[in-house]
Amino acid sequence: MTSILELTLPLELENLEVVYHHVATAIQGVSLKVQPSSIVTLLGTNGAGKTTTLRAISGFLGADNAQIVGGRVLFNGRPVTGRRPHELVRRGLVLVPERDKVFETLTVQENLRALVPGWLAWRAGDRPRVRLDQVFEYFPLLADRRRQLAGYLSGGERQMLALATALLCRPAVLLVDELSLGLAPAVIERLMILVARLRDELGLAVLLVEQNAGAALAVADYGYVMEHGRIVYDGPRDRLLAHADVREFYLGVGHRAGRKSYTDVKQYRRRRRWF
Amino acid sequence: MARGGGYFKTTYAADLALVDTRLRRRALAAFVVALLVLPRVASPFILDLVAQTALAAIGALALNLLTGLAGQVSLGHAGFIAAGAFTTGVLIENGVRSPLVALPAAAVVGAVLGIVVGIPALRLKGLYLALGTLALHHVVLYACAEFQNHWGANTGVSIPPPAIGPWVLKGAVAWYYTLTLAAALVLALSVNLRRSRAGRAWMAIRDREIAAESVGIDVARYKVLAFVWSSAITAVAGGLFAYHRAFVSVEAFGFFLAVEYIAMIIIGGLGSALGAVLGAAFVTLLPHGLDALVAGLRLSGGAAYYLFPLKFGAFGLLMAVFLLFEPQGLVGIWRRVRNWFALWPLRYRPLRSAS
Amino acid sequence: MTQVLATTVVVASLYALLAAGYVLVYRATRVLNLAQGDMMTLGGYFLFLVATSVPGQPVRAIAGAAALSALSGFLIYRLLMRPMAGHPIFAAVLVTVTLGILLRAAIVLVYTDRIRHPLGLLGLANPARPLIGGAVVSTFDLFTVGAAAALFAALFLFLRFSPLGIQMRAAGEKPLLASQRGINFHLVFALSWALAGFAGALAGSLYASNVRLDPSLGVLGLKAFAVALVGGLDSLGGVIPGALIVALVEVLSVRYGDPLLADVSPFLCLLAMLLVRPWGLFGTKEELERV
Ligand SMILES: Nc1ncnc2c1ncn2[C@@H]1O[C@H](COP(=O)(O)OP(=O)(O)OP(=O)(O)O)[C@@H](O)[C@H]1O
Ligand SMILES: [Mg+2]
Repeated sequence: MTSILELTLPLELENLEVVYHHVATAIQGVSLKVQPSSIVTLLGTNGAGKTTTLRAISGFLGADNAQIVGGRVLFNGRPVTGRRPHELVRRGLVLVPERDKVFETLTVQENLRALVPGWLAWRAGDRPRVRLDQVFEYFPLLADRRRQLAGYLSGGERQMLALATALLCRPAVLLVDELSLGLAPAVIERLMILVARLRDELGLAVLLVEQNAGAALAVADYGYVMEHGRIVYDGPRDRLLAHADVREFYLGVGHRAGRKSYTDVKQYRRRRRWF
Repeated sequence: MARGGGYFKTTYAADLALVDTRLRRRALAAFVVALLVLPRVASPFILDLVAQTALAAIGALALNLLTGLAGQVSLGHAGFIAAGAFTTGVLIENGVRSPLVALPAAAVVGAVLGIVVGIPALRLKGLYLALGTLALHHVVLYACAEFQNHWGANTGVSIPPPAIGPWVLKGAVAWYYTLTLAAALVLALSVNLRRSRAGRAWMAIRDREIAAESVGIDVARYKVLAFVWSSAITAVAGGLFAYHRAFVSVEAFGFFLAVEYIAMIIIGGLGSALGAVLGAAFVTLLPHGLDALVAGLRLSGGAAYYLFPLKFGAFGLLMAVFLLFEPQGLVGIWRRVRNWFALWPLRYRPLRSAS
Repeated sequence: MTQVLATTVVVASLYALLAAGYVLVYRATRVLNLAQGDMMTLGGYFLFLVATSVPGQPVRAIAGAAALSALSGFLIYRLLMRPMAGHPIFAAVLVTVTLGILLRAAIVLVYTDRIRHPLGLLGLANPARPLIGGAVVSTFDLFTVGAAAALFAALFLFLRFSPLGIQMRAAGEKPLLASQRGINFHLVFALSWALAGFAGALAGSLYASNVRLDPSLGVLGLKAFAVALVGGLDSLGGVIPGALIVALVEVLSVRYGDPLLADVSPFLCLLAMLLVRPWGLFGTKEELERV
């Protein structure tokens, strides 16, 4: 990897710290890098701070009374910390959120049109152009239901619709929160393959937050493990797959007596911080 | 004043006491003495202002029970006031002159209206409830207006001063004592209601209705109860209003009056009895304060014309300022000042509920 | 009989213009703008203002008034309503009440409370027009009906088919998700306030030309929210049947009852609606839970 490429990483976090309600530290000093045209997965148990990380990246903390108290977010080499969400989206940093991901009172078709980059297409620059028919090709199911209200879609169909609208936003970096949430294993597999296809066809950089480590690691190039708001382990896919603790806690392979999660391993346990 | 953490209650009696610390007792005593001494030193005009404030405070306290404690927004309180005032007026038209009859009658009419509104209101929440009460206000006013028309006295009806036996309530001093006493009673009532089972139920409903229901609070019953208490007290305030003004007419009870009452509890600080009283004082005295200010400026004759819209606008502006910048109202300011003194030279106290 | 129908349609058109403002703002921001009536008055006075500076040019005057009103709707959102984001909705509704008070005070300060008739300034007459069936309406009555029809058609097409309209609906449903789709929802909300101001200005200009202009026109706004609620606060389509029902009841009670009853009849309709079907004729039931 040359240094020039390093300079223009699509997404990079440096020592990010986020505090909820001025008192509760949710993530402390998270640094991670997403290489161009690659899938990076962020694993972690419930409450580890994955969603908070994604929110911090996409400028969404204000609504939950949280703020970034340290560190910064670099998008294409430029700091974007504290920018407003809609500006980030227009520049190509697009999030598929964990909940509330479709407009329920709009039809599928309208959901696909209710986004700005499609409308201000000339401002999207040289980002990969995704057309509506392309999206329908990725998600044939949506094409059949385009006149239906999105409120009547099932969880998995909503996930697809959310992914489809995110793609139409012409992302340079796609942030996906829990792609596998509530989906059948077969569907998860299909979606993962789709994400990999998007990476290869469109050159998309993807930051994939997942509970389902097996599915995520099947396609990811690199992975980070998060625990108590810190990155405790990271490495390329194969190293993660080979790592004993990851295998035990996330893939459920192998078992050593008495250990249930990362928190039980001394080297990852949270150091008590007084202030 | 309880200095952060240094004051503990050691007996049940102390815990139950309304006025619990020595400083509060002294402050209250000083306040009562001041109220008693005031008629000896102040002009009738000042006394009348205090009396008006007290009257407004009764209505504000009642509205605070409903909106501040139980969380049921009412934009129709002027309707309840009108109902009380017109009950008094109708009784007097029909020869019943004693306030000992008229005021309880007003309370009953208010309570009945409270039930009439409260039961359908169970289906409504928030904005819809506010609009329903607003519509109801217009309907009550309509009933009053029809009544006024049928009297033949289109402009309204004059009310003789209330008399109990040989004793006639007349003059600024007498009204001052009557209305402050009434306000004090209502204040004590509303502070005690807040501490009662009903008050706790109301606050639970206000904060989260489903949670309140799940811990066994009969939400419907307590909501209606809140309406009944609030509208009964408000209607009594309306009766007193009629006697005090010596005149009843529909024009006095427009939408603006309802807004004024809402403004009182907002400016004072929602949910706090002290806030309701402060807000009532503020809203009642504001126009007079502006008058005094303009009189002090000695503007030329033409300027007087602008006084009315200016007062009106200043009222709106102040209300907006409070809504935008000080949602806790005057009580919030008072708490901050008090904490600042209590904690000086430190800035924060350990987390605990605001009292 | 035809007269009753004709009057109903005319009154309903005026209410519909006003109620459109309520629904637009409500759907976007979930706030009921109780100052809509006073924004209508403001529109009427803008007409008066423009008409005094360019007398005898009705088209320009009305366009100018509408533009000024839209601008003021935009500014109202920016200055008063946007800071209320995150506060309880009830507080925001009260801010609109204070807005109404401020607008009215400002109008009286500038224009006094004299009754005005901008029609003369526009250089137009308002002759009566007999219709088929013996009913008579004034020319501006017809304009009002036409304006309401045009506004609703335009709004319908806009919200249904234009990207901006779809974004407006999207932002009204989920502002956070909307901003995640690149929509600047504050801008969209401000736009809906501007549209409400525009609709109010149409109503205000037409009413001022047709009948009269004075600072207390705002009470019409209170009646129009009854219309919005009867139709369903979140349904633009519901405004039309709502307006017709309320107007019919009002016209009938003028005819067979007394004027006092007519004044209160919209509120009676509103109460009846709240008792039977609180979410309105075409509103969505979930709306009740949201507030
Ligand atoms: N709105 C909030 N207010 C206060 N604390 C919050 C809030 N949201 C999250 N937190 C806290 O921040 C921490 C991280 O939460 P986050 O939602 O990022 O976890 P997560 O890794 O996404 O978990 P999951 O896998 O369950 O989605 C948690 O400990 C949680 O308690
Ligand atoms: Mg999460």
